[in-house]
Amino acid sequence: MPLFDVFRSQKRPDPEQQVRISDPALALVERFDALVDALPVGVIVVGEDGRVTVFNPAACEIFGVPRERALGRALIESVRSFELDRRLSNALRQGVEQTAELTYNAGVEHKLEVTTRPLRGGEAPREAVAVVHDITRVRELEAIRRDFVSNVSHELRTPLTSVKIMIETLQGGVHRKAQAQFLADIARETDRMIALVQDLLGLAKLESAAPLSPFEHVDLSEVLREVVATQALRAKQLKIDLALATPDEPVLIDGDRARLVQVFVNLLDNALRVVPAGGHIGLSVNREPDHAVVTVFDDGPGIPSSALAHIFERFYVVDRSRARAATGTGLGLAIVKHIVESHGGTVTAESELGAGTTFRCRFRALESIAPTRAI
Amino acid sequence: MGRENFHRILDETQQDTLRLGSLVEEATAKAVDALMRSDVKLAEEIIEADDIVDDLCVRVETNCLNLLALQQPMASDLRTIAAMLDIIIDLERIGDHACDIAQITKNLASEPQLKPFIDIPRMAAAAREMLRESLDAFAQHDAGIAHNVPAKDDEVDRLYRAVFKELIEFMAKDPRAINRGSNLILVALYLERIADHATNICERVVYMVEGVPKNLKRSVVEINQAIAHAESMQARSHGESAAS
Repeated sequence: MPLFDVFRSQKRPDPEQQVRISDPALALVERFDALVDALPVGVIVVGEDGRVTVFNPAACEIFGVPRERALGRALIESVRSFELDRRLSNALRQGVEQTAELTYNAGVEHKLEVTTRPLRGGEAPREAVAVVHDITRVRELEAIRRDFVSNVSHELRTPLTSVKIMIETLQGGVHRKAQAQFLADIARETDRMIALVQDLLGLAKLESAAPLSPFEHVDLSEVLREVVATQALRAKQLKIDLALATPDEPVLIDGDRARLVQVFVNLLDNALRVVPAGGHIGLSVNREPDHAVVTVFDDGPGIPSSALAHIFERFYVVDRSRARAATGTGLGLAIVKHIVESHGGTVTAESELGAGTTFRCRFRALESIAPTRAI
Repeated sequence: MGRENFHRILDETQQDTLRLGSLVEEATAKAVDALMRSDVKLAEEIIEADDIVDDLCVRVETNCLNLLALQQPMASDLRTIAAMLDIIIDLERIGDHACDIAQITKNLASEPQLKPFIDIPRMAAAAREMLRESLDAFAQHDAGIAHNVPAKDDEVDRLYRAVFKELIEFMAKDPRAINRGSNLILVALYLERIADHATNICERVVYMVEGVPKNLKRSVVEINQAIAHAESMQARSHGESAAS
């Protein structure tokens, strides 16, 4: 029986194994146990009979198995992975040391990096250890980064190619009238790229968790009026009906005005990209007993329910072919969500394919400062 | 064979059954994944890996028969061995169905997807959950877990009927979709069968733990009555045909 188990048996006295050991040795065992328990990686030790002797809390977390269920039994009884079992068996019986990835699924899929090796035994009974790192998040982030880089390159390549072609054409010499058109196009494409870079900077700010400016009283009605005014011409050019409804009194919340403007600009911008000519976008500000609610409704194509759960995720783009000017790093809604939640609010989306989409931003309202009744 | 040896082999045989369970769980997951992504290479890996499933089944069966023949096991050990003999059959069939799905992935590789997969992944998720829970129940000798599984079979059956109907409509509208549509109906059928096998495993686990016979829905008394009734109906119809 491995030495530590003998020592441990002293903690729960076993009449058959009365070995007298010194206090320092017991303290050493307890310290070792505490150390292994504290490790952020899973540690599993199996003895020669294949039974688990060590199964630390990190392993419990990774495999979703309570410690009592794992200890004293064969590993396959609690962690049902043929591959892990095989590797530990190799380590135990053939002394094979191996580090390799492993996928484990008990409801949720985990990607794990697992090192299996024999514990140095020499004369002592054989044991093998598995050290398990949960790299699920790392792999997810790698995939997100790959997608993002691929997204950004694509988004930049398109306008840059257009601009290059137009410049080459201009260099070849064209009519003055045509010149004006080309230059206007170059300007438009450049604006597109600037917008993209601004999205990227927005992302950088999100990730650095920069604190918002100090909060002040902000009238949401006024903010919406400003946002709608800046987009009115664009809506008109696109032949989209843009309407805003606000109550007579100010609707006040504590907030960072510039960030709030960004929220509604992003929501309105998204709507303007997908609503077809002849469509409608409606914005409204409403006062509920304790909350201020801003609603942005459009009767565009709507969002499929499978996508709806993901639209606030960074880099998530529903479908490139839907958007009018298909720029989109998938950050707009992530930024909206981040800012709204920094204000202690919530943002939700409802949508029906073919009917339209409604975004609702709910904030804690301040008591109105302006009198609500004539004196 | 000493008593200690008997229990060692019994434990190892149960562990082998769980290894087998792990393999077919993984085969099912990979088969559906390969189908979703049209991954022919993964599909081929699944088909090749089926050999070890069959080998493990043989090992478990051999050990079970040895244990029965060489030592007269007591009540609960006897039920455990009997349960395992049945369970490995269900697991082996699940492994086969996973291979069938993998084969379909290969067959359909050259064709574009009919429409986004929605119900088939749902069926797969439900079937996998049922399989996982049935194996958890076996691993922990826990009839409570086993009792919860059969109810989920209704959802799988419902999804199967929905997939069937939808694909038939697709094929009726467009004959070019017939090859793909009919193969996907088979996939749905295999997933429905996997869910059924998971339910069977649960029934065996309940039997193993509680000593209750196969059918979870009726008691021994009811079953004996039903058999007696069926036999008397048979006797009556024979009597009538003899008289006329």
